[in-house]
Parts: sequence; structure tokens; C-alpha cells
Amino acid sequence: MTQEILVQVLAAFLFTVGILIVLLRRDTIMILMGIELMLNAANLSIVAFSKAAGMVEGQIQVFFIITIAAAESAIGLSILVNLYRNFGSIKTQKANTLKG
Amino acid sequence: MHIALVIAVIISAILAVMMLFAKNPITSAICLLGILLMSAGMYALMGEHLVATIQLVVYAGAIMVLFVFSIMLLNLSNAESEFKNNPKMFYAGMTLGATIFSLLAYAVCTHFSKHTSSLTSGVFTNAKVEELGGNAKVLAHSLFSQFYISFEVISLALLVAVVGAVVLAKRKFD
Repeated sequence: MTQEILVQVLAAFLFTVGILIVLLRRDTIMILMGIELMLNAANLSIVAFSKAAGMVEGQIQVFFIITIAAAESAIGLSILVNLYRNFGSIKTQKANTLKG
Repeated sequence: MHIALVIAVIISAILAVMMLFAKNPITSAICLLGILLMSAGMYALMGEHLVATIQLVVYAGAIMVLFVFSIMLLNLSNAESEFKNNPKMFYAGMTLGATIFSLLAYAVCTHFSKHTSSLTSGVFTNAKVEELGGNAKVLAHSLFSQFYISFEVISLALLVAVVGAVVLAKRKFD
């Protein structure tokens, strides 16, 4: 039981660090990495809960989440390459066309 | 408690903090790769072998290669720490992080036993999974009988994502 609590606390910590990366870092590639970290933390939590409850549905969901994360990072990184092509930088301050 | 799991937890936490404070995106990418590998190890220690393998192949293999390739293509040269000349943002971020983490950890620790006991305990204990032929067999059986529509829809979504990525990468904006 303590083992599962430890993994849950680690998942909470990784999720927090992911939020901080998304909020504080100015590189868009770092923001994408923060999103990946948050997804990974959620996966960890789901798998630990599924293990504790003796079910396999959580692991199936994690399988789907990993697939969606792969699709998301492919789209996100191609948007990033377009951003670099248009603004010459991937800093979030440079992409301010919609700013009033 | 498994000692390898504790070591993996500690290494992941250290790598996460290093990832937050790294100046260079490639350092962060390597730290993220380490976290994903440690997560795969934790899945394997908990007995979920199929999820651990998928984590290794898809996350630590495919997605991280994509990230490292993008960092290489973008040619990020003038990397500097965002926290060096902005201590106000640093302290605000740390306060926010401490708040979020303490709330999440508090929620997990107080409700964990309640949630797991109130759940109807599933049939897939370690002995039962072993008897049915292992974790991969049990998962595959569930995936291709109970969840097969989701599986097909996910494969369609992946195809759409691949086409979208190609279109986005090839397009020339005027």
C-alpha cells in the first residue's frame, strides 16, 4: 500500500513540475515537453490506481493516452516548425500577432 | 516495499527538477527521457509489462526522437536561464508549485485508502493474471474484445494526425 502511495505522490509531483514548465518557460518546445510530462504523470497515476484496484481498464486507457500523446506531439512539433519559419524564433513573446 | 521502485521515484523527482531549471532545451529533453525510462521501470516493477514496453517503444523511443530532431532543426543557440534576471517570477512559480503539489499530495494521501476500498475490487489480482497467461495476454484479450471500437477509432485518429503533421510541415504561408 505504501508503494502505491509513493507512486501517487510522485505522479502529483511530476504533474506540478509539468504545470510549472508550461507556465514559466518561454520556449514553445519546453511547453510541449511540459505537456508530455503532465500526460506521463497522469499515466503513472492511472496505472497505479488500476493496479491497486485489480483492474485492467486503467491500463487500456493508458495505452490509448500514449497513442494520443504521440499524435499530439507530432502535430505540436510541426506547428512549432511553422512557428519558427514564420517568426524566426520559438519564444512565446515573438508570436504576438494576435496581441491587441 | 521494493527498493528499486524507491530509487526510481527519487531519480524521477530529481530529473524533473533538473528539467525545470535547465537552460538548454536539449538538457530538458534528456531529463524527460530519463523520467520516461524511470516510469517504464516503475510500470515493470508493478507488473504491467505491456504498458512498460509501450512506454519504452512509443514514448522513450518515438516521441523523444521527434523532440530531439525538432531541437536540432530549430537551431536554438542563444539559450539563457529564464530565472536569472527575474527572481520575482521564480518565487511566484515556486509558491504556485508548492501550493499545487501540497494540494494534490494531500488529496491523494487522504483519499487513497478510501477510494481503493470503495472501489469494487477487480478480479485481476497478481495470481489471477499469472494464471490467465500473463499481463500482455490479459490486456490484449480485453483490448480486442471489450475495447475494439476504441482501438479502431484511435488508429483512425493516428492516421489523421500523421496526415495533418505532413500538411502542416509542408505548407508555405504567404
